[in-house]
Amino acid sequence: MRILLSAFVFMFCAMAASAQDLQSLLQDNADDIAKPSRNSIGVVLDQMVATGLPQVPAFLEQWSDKNVWQDDITGTFFMATEADDTLTLTDIDTGAETTVPSDGFTQLKPNGGVRRVIGTALVQFQLIDPDTTRRAAALESIARRPEASQLAPLMASLEGETDPALLARKQNLITILSARFAEDPADRIAAIEALAEETSVETRAVLNQILATKPGVATDLPDANIAAQHDPMTGPDGYYAALVAADLATPLTTPDDIRAAMEANIIDGRVGGVPTAQLDTDAARARAYATLAAAGTVPPLVGIPERDNALNTHVFFDTYTEDDPAITTAARNALDQVETAVALAQTVDLGLDALSLASIYFLAAIGLAITFGVMGVINMAHGEFIMMGAYTGYVIQLFVPDYTIAIIIALPTAFAITFAAGVTMERLVIRHLYHRPLETLLATFGISIALQQLAKNIFGTQARPLTSPAWLDGAWIISDVIQISYIRIAIFIMALFFLALILFILKRTRLGLEVRAVTQNPGMAASMGINPDRINMLTFGLGSGIAGIAGVAIGLYAKVTSEMGADYIVQSFMTVVVGGVGNVWGTLAGASLIGGLQKGIEWFNPSNTLAAQTYMILFIILFIQFRPKGIVALKGRAAAD
Amino acid sequence: MQNSFIARNPSVLWFLAALGLFTFGVTILSEATGLGLISTSFVKTLGKTLCLCLIAIAMDVVWGYCGILSLGHFAFFGIGGYAIGMWLMYARTETIVLESLAGQNIPATPQEISDAIGNQIFGVVGSSDFPAIWAFADSLVLQLAMVVLMPGLLALVFGWLAFRSRVTGVYLSILTQAMTLALSLYLFQNDSGLRGNNGLSGLQNIPGFEATPQATISIIFFLASAFALGAGYLFFAWVISGKMGSVVQGIRDNEARVRFLGYQVESYKLFIFTITAIVSGIAGALYYPQAGIINPGEIAPIASIYLAVWVAIGGRGRLYGAVIGAAFVSLLSSWFTGGGAPNVNLGFYTIQWTDWWLVLLGLSFVVVTLYFPKGIGGLFDYLVRKPS
Repeated sequence: MRILLSAFVFMFCAMAASAQDLQSLLQDNADDIAKPSRNSIGVVLDQMVATGLPQVPAFLEQWSDKNVWQDDITGTFFMATEADDTLTLTDIDTGAETTVPSDGFTQLKPNGGVRRVIGTALVQFQLIDPDTTRRAAALESIARRPEASQLAPLMASLEGETDPALLARKQNLITILSARFAEDPADRIAAIEALAEETSVETRAVLNQILATKPGVATDLPDANIAAQHDPMTGPDGYYAALVAADLATPLTTPDDIRAAMEANIIDGRVGGVPTAQLDTDAARARAYATLAAAGTVPPLVGIPERDNALNTHVFFDTYTEDDPAITTAARNALDQVETAVALAQTVDLGLDALSLASIYFLAAIGLAITFGVMGVINMAHGEFIMMGAYTGYVIQLFVPDYTIAIIIALPTAFAITFAAGVTMERLVIRHLYHRPLETLLATFGISIALQQLAKNIFGTQARPLTSPAWLDGAWIISDVIQISYIRIAIFIMALFFLALILFILKRTRLGLEVRAVTQNPGMAASMGINPDRINMLTFGLGSGIAGIAGVAIGLYAKVTSEMGADYIVQSFMTVVVGGVGNVWGTLAGASLIGGLQKGIEWFNPSNTLAAQTYMILFIILFIQFRPKGIVALKGRAAAD
Repeated sequence: MQNSFIARNPSVLWFLAALGLFTFGVTILSEATGLGLISTSFVKTLGKTLCLCLIAIAMDVVWGYCGILSLGHFAFFGIGGYAIGMWLMYARTETIVLESLAGQNIPATPQEISDAIGNQIFGVVGSSDFPAIWAFADSLVLQLAMVVLMPGLLALVFGWLAFRSRVTGVYLSILTQAMTLALSLYLFQNDSGLRGNNGLSGLQNIPGFEATPQATISIIFFLASAFALGAGYLFFAWVISGKMGSVVQGIRDNEARVRFLGYQVESYKLFIFTITAIVSGIAGALYYPQAGIINPGEIAPIASIYLAVWVAIGGRGRLYGAVIGAAFVSLLSSWFTGGGAPNVNLGFYTIQWTDWWLVLLGLSFVVVTLYFPKGIGGLFDYLVRKPS
């Protein structure tokens, strides 16, 4: 009967309120409006919303933006804008405007907490706002700060939603909110199960929030939603610390404590009857401490047996903050499902990373592989050609302000410059050293240190930027887990392009035919009218030119320094050695293997890239044991050294 | 036997005589034992140079005589340095810790001493526990054994793997380079147990000789380095002069042919590779107490390449060539980079040798490789006409 009566009174009040205009409602609660507090404002807001008056949202917004002023004498509230000591007042109900001097009016300044409450109340209006951007903004604010009260307005707003993207987002948020806040456990479980289909960070955060636990310790397992029970012996010190923190045990007596006790209780050169000179062993100290403890001068020793005893008489457990086991079980299952999906996506992402690294190594190594394969010459200055290419890009960007055009100019220019450098080097140095491969290695190394120092002298030691065009900024985001930057995609495409180009040159052109002939048997090729000198020169130029282009590509995503070549040269050698000499496909296989391996090892131990490189090199040393000539080895006479 | 060995190799006698004369001269002129015309730091530089000459002759044997261009011998040098450095650092820290603990009322337990030493040594890498590889650090004898054993074992395992699968030529060079790179990257990690990129420091202070002035210590190490170089020279000259030396040089000239003659090419190569690695380790163990500090940067691939440069400039295939190359290039290098060389003013540009020395070195290296494959040592051929 009383319930019925109170409901009746409430309805009456609501009807009475709806009959009023907004100003009179505000006047009824004038004190709360003028000096709002976070705790009291809720009731007033509920009343305002219950009136269903169309002017409420506008008023709430203005209030929140500190644009509501109160007449000091009459106490009437106005929405107002201030300009040069005058106020343009807008009547809250009629919208009529008047301009008055600002004396005699007080601005309402709700504090941050109140503004947040107002904002929450506003959400339900914003959710049905005709403007899509405002609806989207309201949804984002819900997503940032999900609260139980938002669920009802969100569901109510679903009906009138016309924008399909926003509709999907609303449904998504409803699922998230119901998973956490729905009244009926069955609704929550249904929502949680729906969440299991998604892999977004948001979903995982929600599920983790539902599964939040707090550690506990007690003598007996309490009747609660227990997440896990721990065996304290797996980490006795940590669990004992928890026990001490819960005031269920006294701290362990550490060696430092014992030492301090010894120092504090020296009497006539003895501690507890033991001469200080003998206190250089743990056993003697224990004896002395026991005597002191028996005399009551120091607290009794808490050692390992006492610790273990205390640990064994207590249970250590985690309890869910959520009380309902059905919900936590559902959330656990959902999270497992989500994590499986995420792991799968991470594997894909790792694969993409490896592919991108492999394409960089391929670009860096293919030039080396060609020269090594055709001429049997290891070019230690190859890394410096990469550096030259990158610096070419940098210099061109100094003169061409448009980055897109600069890159388009830089690629062929870098090729031309390094091609020329390669041909010059071949003519001046390498030509004289054929049949002495080890000495070529050393001579090219001499060129390498000279070029590196030269670059240092010209460009200085600090890193120079090679900026990528704006359209290469950002990343292609497939999901929250799988994403890859556009630069890496561009490098991948470039690597594919050069793979195709080199295959075309080698297999479909006269030059390629002659190059392959010289690779197989220089003497025979020469007797067939091919000029091996010319072929060697062009091959070396081609290999160097590609290094220059690789330099531009690498410079786009890494820094340009005089030592950047050295960073890639060892990896390039590895690629060539692992892949096998004189075969484009071998280089491709080598680059894929090394790129994949490096990413794979990094994945196992992401914090330590140094260790990853170490293990990779060890792997390669072992790999060479089993395939000394690389993955794709030349067969027959061509394989002769 | 000894007589005929010397008789067949007069250069050994000449070298030992020159080395002896040089050592005697430096001792006479040094601060500790003589007139004080040579500063302590320069005595150290000379001592270090002698160690570099020792690893250079090892490099010459493995490359110039056996034809294995190893780009990883500085890894063995570094391992030797680390092995002796561990003892030096441990023993010295122990002395310091014991001194600081001595004043206390309660004598320290062995555990406390060990913890305090660990804290001192590994504080920089945020740890205080002794890693397993420091197990023998308190024993000089065991660490000296490590100086020989660690490089020897590494070279043995690596060489066995590499030679067994007939990795030769450029491939082997790259592989040895990978080995030294892997080692230096490993040591750069803080949890490698050897203080990461901080390396080991304070090695110039010899435990037990705190009162001895550095001038005396430097001359002692100088003499020890000179002795090691002389002994190493004699040993390698003996190794390469006998029948074995002929086989080894045969392998350099035509490996397949030697194999077809029935020799176990792999065993010979493995022996040479390992023995030179051990000598490199000893050279390192003598070098780093004079340098005072060792860090993983010392064994970066570039160091081993410079080693090849020294030997090439000095002249491969003759032991004194390696010595000349190492001494000449490393001293010249420190003269140029240390600002010893006067800058050249060209009017429009001033050549500062600290900047341009590497360019000069690189280019002159190319020139030597191209036109003087015999290096500086080749000049002696004009002086001494060997009876053919």
